Amino acid sequence: MPAANVAAQVRTSLASLKASDLQDAQIMEVLKLAHQLTDTMKLFFSSLDQSICQEFNYIADYISRTRDEIAALRPNDIKTSRIPSAGVELEAVVGDTEKATETIMSAAEAVLCEESTDYDEYRANVEARMMTIIEACSFQDLAGQRVSKVVNSLRHVESRVARFADVMGVRDADGYESDAEKAEKARNEKNLLNGPAIGGPETSQDDIDAMFADAAPAPDLDQSSIDSLFD
Amino acid sequence: MAVEMTMPILVVDDYKTMIRIIRNLLKQIGFENVDEAADGQEAYEKMQKSKYGLVISDWNMEPMTGYELLQKVRADETMKSTPFIMVTAESKTENVVAAKRAGVNNYIVKPFNAGTLKAKMSAVLGDF
Repeated sequence: MPAANVAAQVRTSLASLKASDLQDAQIMEVLKLAHQLTDTMKLFFSSLDQSICQEFNYIADYISRTRDEIAALRPNDIKTSRIPSAGVELEAVVGDTEKATETIMSAAEAVLCEESTDYDEYRANVEARMMTIIEACSFQDLAGQRVSKVVNSLRHVESRVARFADVMGVRDADGYESDAEKAEKARNEKNLLNGPAIGGPETSQDDIDAMFADAAPAPDLDQSSIDSLFD
Repeated sequence: MAVEMTMPILVVDDYKTMIRIIRNLLKQIGFENVDEAADGQEAYEKMQKSKYGLVISDWNMEPMTGYELLQKVRADETMKSTPFIMVTAESKTENVVAAKRAGVNNYIVKPFNAGTLKAKMSAVLGDF
């Protein structure tokens, strides 16, 4: 019997009890009412249990799916292998380019300081240093390979995170920046720190020169021009 | 007025390689009295102790950027007229405008060559 019908019956019984002389109320009537109340409550809690149970099942299922998707991200692989190795590769690039730059600049400075007056000796010294510079330029090959590895790692992480966000229907939330990140962002904005542009400077040197040409100081006057001011 | 070729020039950059490059370029065009600083703060402290004929500064440095250094220099009575050239990878128009408003004398975007450096120095100091 639906809970609503039982509840209606309880109300009817209660109304009838109230209407009658309670001194004459029979125990059976009271017991009957108590049974009806109990049945009503049973039905109510049963439906409540089913509803809560369904909610909990849904939540458990969602948590289980989320865990599976997080596992598919392979976060431990990202944390312990991909990101650290990318950092190591980039540090190696910085080191390699620094060494190559030192070699190239030292060779160039040596050529600029070359004081030999003997042509053959001068030529031999310059050629040797030019070969050193050419050899040092091989850093570009190694740096390129290392950077490619880092780019691959980043693409890997990007695709996993993108898939996770798509599958879980995740949207970015505000307010997850650390204090240090917020401070850095504020500093970058205050100091207009944009960094080098991709594909060359955003404003060409010619355009910059034009901006400064407008403010060029007036040329100094020569004596005759000054004299003419006093005529 | 003739440019004093022995004047002290302060080069400010957090990359030693860039300082070395600029030093070499300056030497090629005749300036050998070159001092260096690794960031705006160090540069400002040096400028408080010595007078420089020219400052050539990068923009993006820590703890003090070249932009902040420029503002401090122009606000300081003892050094506000020091010629100041920004040499930087910051190439957005907003950067150039901001530097000009802050009182920079000229602005060079990286990468650059000796010819550009000489031309901008001449524009600021006079022909040499």
